[in-house]
Amino acid sequence: MDGYFFLFTGLKILVVLLFIINTAAILTWGERRQSAMIQDRIGPNRAVIYLPSVVLKGLVVVVSALVAAGLANYGRLASLRPERVRLDAGFALTELLVLLGWMTIIGVRSLERKRGGGILSRSIPDARLVFFIGLAIHAAVAVLRANVTGEERTPNGLANALFHYVGPFLTPAAVLGLGIFALTNIPRGKVGIRLGGMLHALADGAKMAFKEDFIPTNADRLLHSLGPLIALFPAFVVFAVIPFGDTLCIHPDTSGHFWADLFNARIGDVGGAYSPYVARYGICSEGAVPLQVANLNVGILYMFALAGTGIIGAAIAGWSSDNKFSLLGGLRASSQMVSYEVAMGLSLVGAFMTYGTVRFDDMVRWQSENAWGIFVQPFAFFLFLAASIAENKRVPFDAPEGESEIVAGYYLEYSGFKFGMFMFGEYIELAISSAVLVTVFFGGYALPFLHRDGITLELGETVYYHLALSHRLVIVLGVLTFFLKTWITCWVQLFIRWTIPRFRYDQIMKLGWRFLLPSALVNIVGTGTVLLLIDAAGPALSRTLDVVADASQGLVLVLGVVGIVTLVSGVLAPPRKHGRSASSSAKFAEAAGGTRTTPMQA
Amino acid sequence: MAIETSKGIIGKPVPRPYRPPSTQAFIPEIMKGMRVTMKHFFRNTKEVALSQRPDPTMESLEEGVTTVSYPEQKRPYPERFRGLHRLTLREDGSPRCVACLCCSTACPAQCIHIVPAEYAEGDKRRGYERFPDQFVIDELRCIFCGFCVEACPCDAIRMDTGQHAAPYDSRDQFIFRKDLLMAAKGRDGSRQSENPRHEPGDPTHPGVDREHH
Repeated sequence: MDGYFFLFTGLKILVVLLFIINTAAILTWGERRQSAMIQDRIGPNRAVIYLPSVVLKGLVVVVSALVAAGLANYGRLASLRPERVRLDAGFALTELLVLLGWMTIIGVRSLERKRGGGILSRSIPDARLVFFIGLAIHAAVAVLRANVTGEERTPNGLANALFHYVGPFLTPAAVLGLGIFALTNIPRGKVGIRLGGMLHALADGAKMAFKEDFIPTNADRLLHSLGPLIALFPAFVVFAVIPFGDTLCIHPDTSGHFWADLFNARIGDVGGAYSPYVARYGICSEGAVPLQVANLNVGILYMFALAGTGIIGAAIAGWSSDNKFSLLGGLRASSQMVSYEVAMGLSLVGAFMTYGTVRFDDMVRWQSENAWGIFVQPFAFFLFLAASIAENKRVPFDAPEGESEIVAGYYLEYSGFKFGMFMFGEYIELAISSAVLVTVFFGGYALPFLHRDGITLELGETVYYHLALSHRLVIVLGVLTFFLKTWITCWVQLFIRWTIPRFRYDQIMKLGWRFLLPSALVNIVGTGTVLLLIDAAGPALSRTLDVVADASQGLVLVLGVVGIVTLVSGVLAPPRKHGRSASSSAKFAEAAGGTRTTPMQA
Repeated sequence: MAIETSKGIIGKPVPRPYRPPSTQAFIPEIMKGMRVTMKHFFRNTKEVALSQRPDPTMESLEEGVTTVSYPEQKRPYPERFRGLHRLTLREDGSPRCVACLCCSTACPAQCIHIVPAEYAEGDKRRGYERFPDQFVIDELRCIFCGFCVEACPCDAIRMDTGQHAAPYDSRDQFIFRKDLLMAAKGRDGSRQSENPRHEPGDPTHPGVDREHH
């Protein structure tokens, strides 16, 4: 175990902690602001920091100058490399330019419409038109790049102009220009920074830290303080086994200096000659850094063990508070968590049988080669989703903390930071359970058709298209994909919270023991039967299943692209017309130019 | 209604409604509920983020986020809103008030205190009308009923400033004296009233004096 092992493990822990804590903070913010959106109101937005507009303008200029400098440097470094790398860099910069272009047009048009009139707002009736034309230009540039092989030093006319000159030179200039243009739109005087309500969530967190921390008179002092710790601890450490990216192949230099070797490390394959690309199958024999904090061979059983530990925290907190309501809440919490623990474990056994492993990284590898877990085990997905929501005591299973019944349940007698630990711990558990859901059912860090060597569009045996991507890019894409999928799953769980009313306690128990547990057993039997039948059927069925699995990956890709396009075009849709009220205060408001006296500071 | 049997009174059996399995499973209901919440969520997030919210006063009763972020946004009061008082003025800047004490008599909260004074000897208006030496309204006691405005025969006191009583820190700050009441402006910005005031000696109204004809 050399020094790099400890350094990388420390870095992985840091990444994981940052992700968890930031996700929990963002979820706290989302819970209050976005749930308000459902109720047709704005959430809390009073916390504000006033910056003088000079500071803000300076910030905008500095940030845009730094980004422009970074992009220019990227283009300059790429021009010194082989032609293929240069073309890739130029392609990325050109696509960025196209993106900035259509977004700027839409932004300027909406600014003009707010100020009443202008060239763009009159000539372009609908912003979505600009978006679709921008998408078409994106596709055209991609096709142009695909047709250039990169063998010759100076490719033909248009590609040469775009990827060698327009991209690397114009994009940094465009970023700088946009920064300077943004300067003119920053209002004078003081500007209130609200960060969309995130400052308020931060302020609430700080308030929680500074509130008085008390222990009830007859409470058990040690257990009262210990409860939040035991409840919070498993939530954090479960993330140690979840892979947030593929295995990184990094080879530090061998000159002997620790930091210089790390700085000059090469990412890729060094068997033989160095290559920035790696092979699709297999992991580099040396220098492999799996992007999980701990590569345990028990895998998911570690998660089940720790989830069981969390039960003790709730029970201790409920009992030690010397309060009948807390005790009731603690009892409800422990019995609910125990019953759904069993259902959670059994519902995943079908997944273990299908993937053939209990280790998370092997599960993700199976899913990236075959189909995602939700296609292979749809019933188990719903069972596991319900069980994990119940395990985290989130609505609709939040009878232990039922506000209208037993005030706050087992964390009734807590305030200040200990209460914050319970609340934060609940959101951390939400993030963790979303991460587990993503890893087991949604392919973890894998994107459809993206493998370690690049993009390979294939259906079964036939390969339609292959594009080699550098190892560095594949790893970064995997990590970003994992974070994005976890956030989307967290958002779906938040949505379930905002929609469904609370279940009664006996309904919760009945659901856990009389429905989820038998269904999980039925799922196991069914999965086993299907697997045995597939094994017995022979190679023809296997080939058909390969094709179907690749088709499911294609379906995911298509749904993802369609979803993104629908989302963006929904955002760009023209605002709906509103009716007018006839009251005298409406007339006064209209005479004053509307109720908005200052720019909307939501 | 209980059922009486030989064993005593037992409860009336209530038949359970039949629910088809899809409703009992609750999942389609969850989907329907999520459809409603997601519709509100996406529409409101887009409108709030792009500043396309319906204006809470001009488009009231609209679906959508109509929260008024006071104090950056304010709803204007209706036209006939009874706010803080003001004393209207004549063309020469003196108050129209003739200290007849109708308003202080009509006030249910007894928040108006007037000390009348006679005009100087030789003034045209002496014996005919008086002026208020002190005119004090305690806005904290005021119940904003508007009886003083209705009672005044000279359109001298109005409540059309369109301002509510601000939350001051002490009771003294709510006592408005004559100078403050005369300095307040109406919603349209004027300090005089449109009702014309005919002074004695006005040829268009020959009866406005106390000469015994």
